[in-house]
Order: sequence, then structure tokens, then C-alpha cells
Amino acid sequence: MEPVNNEVTERQAVRVMRPESPRQAVSFAKRFRAPYIAGGTWLQPSCERDRQWPVHLVALNPDWPGFRGIQETEDGLSIGALTTLDELARHPLTALYLPPLSGLINRVAGPGVRHLGTVGGNLLAGGDLSALALALGTEVDVVEGKGSNRRPLARWFQDRPASDLLRSVTVPDCRGWGVSVEKLGYRERFSPTRATVACVHAGLQVQLAVCGEGGPGRLMVTEAMLRDEGIRELTDLAIVVDSELETLGWHDTRLRLAVRRMLESGLMEVTRGA
Amino acid sequence: MAHENSPGGVGNLVTLDGDSIRNATSGMDLAQRIEGRLAYATDQRDLSGLLYGAILRSACAHALITRVDISKALEMPGVHAVIKANDVPGLNCFGIVIRDQPVFCDERVRYEGDAIAAVAADTPEQARAALDAIEVDYQPLPVVSDAALAEQQTALHNSHEKHGGSNLLARETLECGDLDDAFSRCAVIVEHHYQTPRQMHAFMETEGGVAIPDGKGGVLFRVGCQSGHRDAEQLADILGVAHEQVTVESTVTGGAFGGKDELTVQPAAGLLALKTGRPVMIHLDRFESCRTGMKRHPVSVKMTTGCDAEGRLLAHKAEAILDTGAYASLGPAVLENYLDHATAPLYRIEAYRVSGRLVYTNNGVCGAFRGFGGNQATFAVESQLDELAHGLGIEPAALRRINLRSPGDAGSRNQTVRWTAPPAGVLAAAVASPLWSRPDTDTGRWLTGTGMAMGAQGNGLGDGLPDSGGGRISLSPAGRICVEFGFSDYGQNIVESIIRSVCNGVGCREADVEVLLGSSRGPDSGPTSASRSTVLVHGVLASILPRWMDVVRGHASRVSGHPEEGLAFGPGGVFFNGRQVLSYRELAESASPDEMAASASQDFPVAPDSGQPVGRYLQLQIATVARVAVDRLTGRVRVTDLHHVTAAGRVIYPPGYLGQIEGAAVMGQGMALTEDMTTRDGSYLADNLDQYLIPTFHDAPLQRVDVLDDTPEDDPFPVRGVGELGIEAVAPAITAAIEAATGVRVRRLPVDPGDLLVAMAAKEQTL
Ligand SMILES: Cc1cc2nc3c(=O)[nH]c(=O)nc-3n(C[C@H](O)[C@H](O)[C@H](O)COP(=O)(O)OP(=O)(O)OC[C@H]3O[C@@H](n4cnc5c(N)ncnc54)[C@H](O)[C@@H]3O)c2cc1C
Repeated sequence: MEPVNNEVTERQAVRVMRPESPRQAVSFAKRFRAPYIAGGTWLQPSCERDRQWPVHLVALNPDWPGFRGIQETEDGLSIGALTTLDELARHPLTALYLPPLSGLINRVAGPGVRHLGTVGGNLLAGGDLSALALALGTEVDVVEGKGSNRRPLARWFQDRPASDLLRSVTVPDCRGWGVSVEKLGYRERFSPTRATVACVHAGLQVQLAVCGEGGPGRLMVTEAMLRDEGIRELTDLAIVVDSELETLGWHDTRLRLAVRRMLESGLMEVTRGA
Repeated sequence: MAHENSPGGVGNLVTLDGDSIRNATSGMDLAQRIEGRLAYATDQRDLSGLLYGAILRSACAHALITRVDISKALEMPGVHAVIKANDVPGLNCFGIVIRDQPVFCDERVRYEGDAIAAVAADTPEQARAALDAIEVDYQPLPVVSDAALAEQQTALHNSHEKHGGSNLLARETLECGDLDDAFSRCAVIVEHHYQTPRQMHAFMETEGGVAIPDGKGGVLFRVGCQSGHRDAEQLADILGVAHEQVTVESTVTGGAFGGKDELTVQPAAGLLALKTGRPVMIHLDRFESCRTGMKRHPVSVKMTTGCDAEGRLLAHKAEAILDTGAYASLGPAVLENYLDHATAPLYRIEAYRVSGRLVYTNNGVCGAFRGFGGNQATFAVESQLDELAHGLGIEPAALRRINLRSPGDAGSRNQTVRWTAPPAGVLAAAVASPLWSRPDTDTGRWLTGTGMAMGAQGNGLGDGLPDSGGGRISLSPAGRICVEFGFSDYGQNIVESIIRSVCNGVGCREADVEVLLGSSRGPDSGPTSASRSTVLVHGVLASILPRWMDVVRGHASRVSGHPEEGLAFGPGGVFFNGRQVLSYRELAESASPDEMAASASQDFPVAPDSGQPVGRYLQLQIATVARVAVDRLTGRVRVTDLHHVTAAGRVIYPPGYLGQIEGAAVMGQGMALTEDMTTRDGSYLADNLDQYLIPTFHDAPLQRVDVLDDTPEDDPFPVRGVGELGIEAVAPAITAAIEAATGVRVRRLPVDPGDLLVAMAAKEQTL
């Protein structure tokens, strides 16, 4: 991820600012060119590793309206950015809307990280949730003035100002959709993702996304091909997926092979019976 | 209870199962250890006047140092001392085999963990801040990063005369028979390259300890280490004080596996303690531990092996390169053990020549590590046997059966060896493993397969190296039977084995026994390494317990007035006619502790008939059967089951035995599948346990440990050390299972899922 601020300091000299409102948080972030901190599970080890800490951090408050918790809305499922991964995995609405999700979260880091780590932090750190969120066509609510502005996650990822503050994400009503998500790590648990692949069969079309070593991305070209031609010839699909992955930044050919196979398998799973 | 079973006519085979642990577990520190509650030396922060030390490490993998300026650091808040090379009063170097590692580098740095200076301050943060204020100028030198090319590159140690200033630290060849002739008669010859990784010990407790000055020029070290006596000698030389002025207490240690055999924080802590006159604690964080700590030697070997048409092994050749990193540490001994295992000690081979070169590079430092080179060699040897079996079109087990040594045979180096069961029995038990009868699936997502490998492991330092150890037993003033050894307990639970042996020998209760370990003031037992401590503990106790009991019985007779012959030891005290007549406390109060003490030292057992011993006399065996599932989509390998058949003498403490075999096996699994501290230009590419990936509980397979114990009743060495045995055959068993599942043979560890996937895809195309 892009560093927000080039100015660095020692850990004990970091100033953590506690804004009173989301709006003030954004203004602090802009004024001090300071990153937000949610659970800190990504930020802290990154700074420790580099032995470089930003001069200021803007702490986010889960009590701000809309920032934490999971609710059904007209548009689908709204998930506050500061909802922890644990809360998301255990919530009854998760089981109702997205049965494969708790299995995926169980393979994200370990219990300690899941207890602190948040949905927003995970998406912004390119974590495992991003592939699924992209494939589902998730929308983000970004704080703007006293309210917020909604746009597709995929577009936000492409041109996101560093001071954008994520309030919540909205997953469309995906009950009845075919959803498959598969993670390839280095080991069974507690491994950063090498590749996480999500396939969604949303009524009439399939939506595909990846995240991991090559970065997060929605496979629009592949989706278009599937839409236009269906899964006729797996070898054609392989060529399209491969070149799209490479364009996205997936340069390791062996890993692309694994992603292709995971996608093929996911596609089979979500389109079975369709 | 443990199960008795006898597959295929195998002798006395017992499965160590959950019951054998539950029945044997006592109030040991295991739970505390697992829960992180065990107090290590670095948890003792209530020492009066305690200062915190920190060490400045090199920023370059290879460079000349042109300037070190500590003046600003000296002015920093809370700082009490800043020291560098010219502050070392004694020898500015250490190393178990060759003292080639500077305490503080003054002219040249040879790896990124090299120490340049150290600071003592009131708080760890102040010490770190002061490190940042030390100015060092470097003049970079070409980095020697490829072990295969190291001998043609800039020599890291100009003064290393033995090999004319080259990076070749040691070379050795073991040979027997006429190799060319033997190869000329082979019906099948296989030749392959094998590569094993730079594995990290990844112990729970990172390196640390405290040095406490005695005010009279001496220092007491409380530290997690493996050899208090040897460390005390090296430290006295560094501190420039008499040996008696240094005491090392090797405290309860959170894992070592060889990684704390060499000195770690002790030199810097000791020097700072003498300089400041105050206790100084140094504790490496995980980043520093990863960067500076010992690693397992990566080995690259070309092996050529041939057999006749009946499968008899005729010829075997190995040419290995071991990367020892910047300093020797125990590298030369690792090379010896590597070559010993490269001779394929379990099998009869008409002629062999195995040679190895140990080279310096700027890739960190390698040294002792569970298996000690042996398991790297066994990976290649066992893989070669599988390849030969394929070439001949016979079962891998059949090829092994044809070639296994018999109990009366000499060892591979023509030395006398002492097994505790026939190798063919171990193989038969492994072949009878239920894992073979699970159906293999070759449809769907997961491809499953079962494979097997065998391994031999010797106890003791071997090759006639000085190897002795002593112990002492006495009655403490509080009336406890006090047993002292110089060994360290770093999680292998040697304390429990000692208590068990004493209770069995004396007839007392566990609560009557007190075990004191690891003080350089106590008996010198030698290092806690080479799977030697259990053998020595058992040998020394066998010698001193009867003597000590005689002394105490005589004394009890005088005090109680009962005849010696009728007195018996029992729970809590001494008995006459089934009635306790004296408690151990009453006995202790009636004499000085020295009056009721016995001590002994003994040499580690070597073959009785040999002049200069070669190899190792006491031999253990293992066969590991592995079952894996390989993901057809990604090439990822899951080890689902490991079944070990071990022949390692009598089991005196089942949880300890089981823990060692299973724990070592998971370590071997890590080496096979995920662990490698890779380098680029001498820099490690991983710096913590979120990048260097050891197996987690979720990766650990189901394991079963069987013990084949045919140890003769009169065997003088019925108890053997099993600290390393479990790792020996795991990697080749896993790669054999992968081949059974996928048809792909992996010769480079750790298995790269990407490479495996590509090879699997290529196989699918040819189908
Ligand atoms: C040992 C370990 C293992 C891990 N394993 C995995 C794994 O298997 N899979 C995986 O996906 N991740 C893994 N992670 C990464 C990560 O920590 C978690 O995924 C977690 O969800 C991050 O959330 P957080 O709240 O702690 O983020 P933080 O560390 O607080 O923040 C992460 C980033 O997001 C920004 N940010 C946070 N919230 C907002 C917001 N509301 N608006 C705008 N910006 C925001 C921060 O500025 C920062 O740049 C692991 C981390 C560790 C330490």
C-alpha cells in the first residue's frame, strides 16, 4: 500500500489522535497526512518491520454511527468498516447471506488477529476478504462531509485518495447466489494469502475476483468472455484468465496456474446445476 | 495402555498412545511452558540495579569497517556504557570448534548479524535509541552468497591458513572399496542433485540472559544455553578473567535444538556487566533472533548410486557442499555427521566415496541443529534408494530389505555398532503400517499417496571426540535426594527422565527427588547435544546410585541401630521390616551433605574393540511412513499422517519419548514443506515468524509412534537418546508419498507447490 506520509519517527513518539467524529478524522488525516488505525494488526507489524512509524495516527472509533455491526438493508447486507473479523464470522446474518465466509475467515491469520482486525483494515491491506468483496460487487460508503458517498469497491480501489475514510461496505443481497471462495496459503493456517479466488454466480452472470501476491482485482475480461461465450472450452478460458492475471500484476507463472485451476474449480462449483 | 502388536512376525512392538502419556504425566512444567508462563532468565527483572543491553548489528553482509564512533551514543539519556572491539579485555573471538567469530567486529563484518558494539542503559528503549546514535562507516566488499562458487571468491577469513586463505573451511572424504570397479558392475545407476534448506530453530524463547557481576571481577550468567561449562570457559577467555571467576547457570530454556549451543548474548552482556558493575540483561527480539541466530546448513549434493540386477547395492558416490555461513561454529562436526549419514549406514554397500566441502559465505551463520547434518544426507540417500527401486521395477521396501544390515554386521564405516533391534524388523513393522492399506484417490481435487523412508541415528559426539559426562547425587539438608547434572532442560524434559530413573533405582517417591541442572559449578556433563544426555544420565546413575545407596544405608544403620541388610529405601525414607525408621530429612539432619554424596563421570560409550573410534557405536533406527494429500489445483501438500517405527532402546519415560519423536517429526515436516531462510546478496528474505513459516497445529499430522524394543536384557546401554531420531526420515518419507500421489519426485526442499503444480500439469498432459 502507498505510504501516506514520508515523515517517520520512533514508536514511542507516535501521536495517536482521537477525533470526535468521522468528519474530524478525515480533517486530521488530511492536515497531518496521517494514516487511520483500526485494529492495528496490519499497521503495527508493518511499522515494526520497517522500524519506521508515522508521526501521527488517526484512531477510528467503532461507536461512530454505521462504523460497526452488520445490518440488513434494502440494498443487501451493510457491514461497518470497524466490525472485527471475529464478529463478522460469528454473526447469524453472515451464515444467512454468505455461508462460505466464516470458513474463509477461519483461515485468516489467528484468533488474536481476528479478534482485533477489522473488515475495513482487511480490505485496505489487500487481505483475504477483498477477493470475495470484489466478486460480490460490494459497494463502499466513504465519509464525505457529514454523510457519506457510495461507490463500487472496485472503482474505489483504483483511485482512492489516502485520506478516504471507509464507513461501511454493502454486499448485495446474495442469498441464493452460488458463492465459492478458496484461499491458497503457504500452510494450513496463519499464512498470508498467496492467492484467494472468489467466484460468484449472481443469477445470470458469473463474477470473478482475486487477491494475494499479485494484488486484488476483478477479472472483468474473463467475466465478459464467459458472459458472451459461456464456459465452452476450458483451454480458451485458461488463456484469457492467464493474460488478464498478468495484466493485473500476477507475474509468477506458477501461481497463475494455481489461480486458474482454483477459478475453474470455483466456476464448476457455483455454476453446477445452473 | 500401550498396545502390543506384532505385524509380520516383528518382535516386541509397542505403540505409544495417549494412555501411555496420561498415566505417566506428573507435575512437570509442560503446561506452564505451553501457556507461556514458564519464567526464563529474561523474566527475572527484579534484580537490583538491572540495566538493559542491546547489540548493534552490521548493516552490511560483507564490508570493511572504516569508522565506529560511539561518542554520541555515550551522551544519550539513560546510557551507562557503550563498548566496542577495543573494550574486550580478553580474546575478541569465540567459536566451539574454531574461534573465528568476533565478539565485536572492528575491521570487517561478514554477515548482517555481526556485532559491532553494545550499549547498556536504564531501559531497553534507551539502549535501542543509543544504538541508533552509533555511527559506522562501511566500505562494501563483494558478497559471497553462492556456496557453489564460494571457493573462487574473496576469502572471508584471510587468516584462515588451513586452506590457503580460501573460503573452503573443511573438506572430508569417507570411502571404502573399489568404487570404479563397483560402478562398472552395476545394472542400474541413478544420479541426482538434492538440495535442502537453511532451516531456523524457531524456538519459543529467543536468545537472552542476564550477566551479574560479583563485584570482585567475576560474572554470573543466567542464560538459556546448552553447555554451561563450555560457555564458562569461552566467556572467561573473552572477559580476560580466571575460569573460576565465571559461573554459568543454564536456566530453564524455551527450546534450543542446537541453536543455543554456541554463545549468543553472553559475551556482550558479560562485558557490559563488568564495565558498569551492574547486572545487564540482553534479550533478542524475534527480528534480531531471526537475523543473527544459527541456522541449519543448507546442503547441495550430487549423488550417484548403483545396484546389480538383483538389487544389491554396489556403488555409491556423493559430492556435497555445505554452506556454513560467515563463521565455523560447529560446521566441521556437522560435515562429519553429514558424511557419516551419506554413507547410508543402514545398508550394505560394496564401495562408496562420499565427500563434502564446507564453505564460508556471507549467508548468516549455520551450526548445530537437531539432526546435525544427518537428516540432510538421509533425504538424499533414501530418495536415491526409491529411484533405484523404480529403475529395477521393484518395491522400494523390497530394495531396502535386500540391503539392510543385520544386527551382527559392522557399521558403514566398518566400526562396531550396537542396535537395539534388527533393521529388518523395523522395516517389516513399517511395511505393515495401516497407512498403506488406505485407498489412494486419483480423482477429484486431492491426490493421496503413502511413502516411506528409513534412517539411522547415532548417539554421542562420535568419531572419538572427547565425550564424557558426570553427575552427582547427595541428600539435601531438606531431606531430598538431590541429583545434579550439567545438562540443560530446554523442553526435552530430561528432569522427568532423571526423576523416573532415580525412583526406579531407589524405590522412593517423585516428591523425594530434586534435580539440579545446568550450573557450571556443578558436575560437568558436557554439552546437551548429540542425543547424548539420556545415555549419560542413565549410565552415570547406574554407576552412582548403588554406591550412594550403600553409603546412605550404612549411615542409616548407624543412626537407627538396625542392621544394614534389613534396611530398604522407600517412599519418604528408609524402612525396616516394612516400617519407616528414618525419614530422608532425619537422615540428612544426622550428617553433613558431603558425607552422603556420590559422584561419577564416564566416557560416552564407544566400541570396545576399536583403537581410534570412528562414527558412532550406539545406533538407533527409525522408519517413517508418511501419508500426504496433494491439491491438484494448487500443488499444496498436506501431510495427513506420520507413522514412525523406532528402535531406540527402552522407553523409560513415554511422554518424553513420544514428545521427542513427534516434535522432531513436525520440525522435519517444516523443513520438507515450508521452512527456508532464503537469502539475497547475504540478506535474509524473512525476518519474523509471519514470513518464515513453521508448521502450526493445523498443519501437524496425526502421528503414531511404535517402539520396537529387542534390547537384550544384559545390554549395558539399554537407554538411548531420542532427541534427534524423529527428524531423520520424515522429509524423504514425505517426498516418497508425494511421488506416490502425483508421480512427481521432488529433490529440492522445501517442496515448492508452484514447481510441483507445474510438474503435475506436465504429467497430466502426457497422460
Ligand atoms: C500474523 C498476521 C497474520 C495475518 N494473516 C492474514 C491472513 O491470513 N489473511 C488476511 O487477509 N490478512 C492477514 N493479516 C493482515 C491484517 O492484519 C488483517 O487482515 C486485518 O483485518 C487488518 O485489519 P486492522 O483493523 O487491524 O487494520 P489496521 O492495521 O488498523 O489498518 C490496515 C490499513 O487499513 C487502513 N484502514 C483501516 N481502517 C480503515 C478505514 N475504516 N478507512 C480507511 N482506511 C482504513 C489503515 O490506515 C491501514 O493502512 C495478518 C496479520 C498478521 C499480523
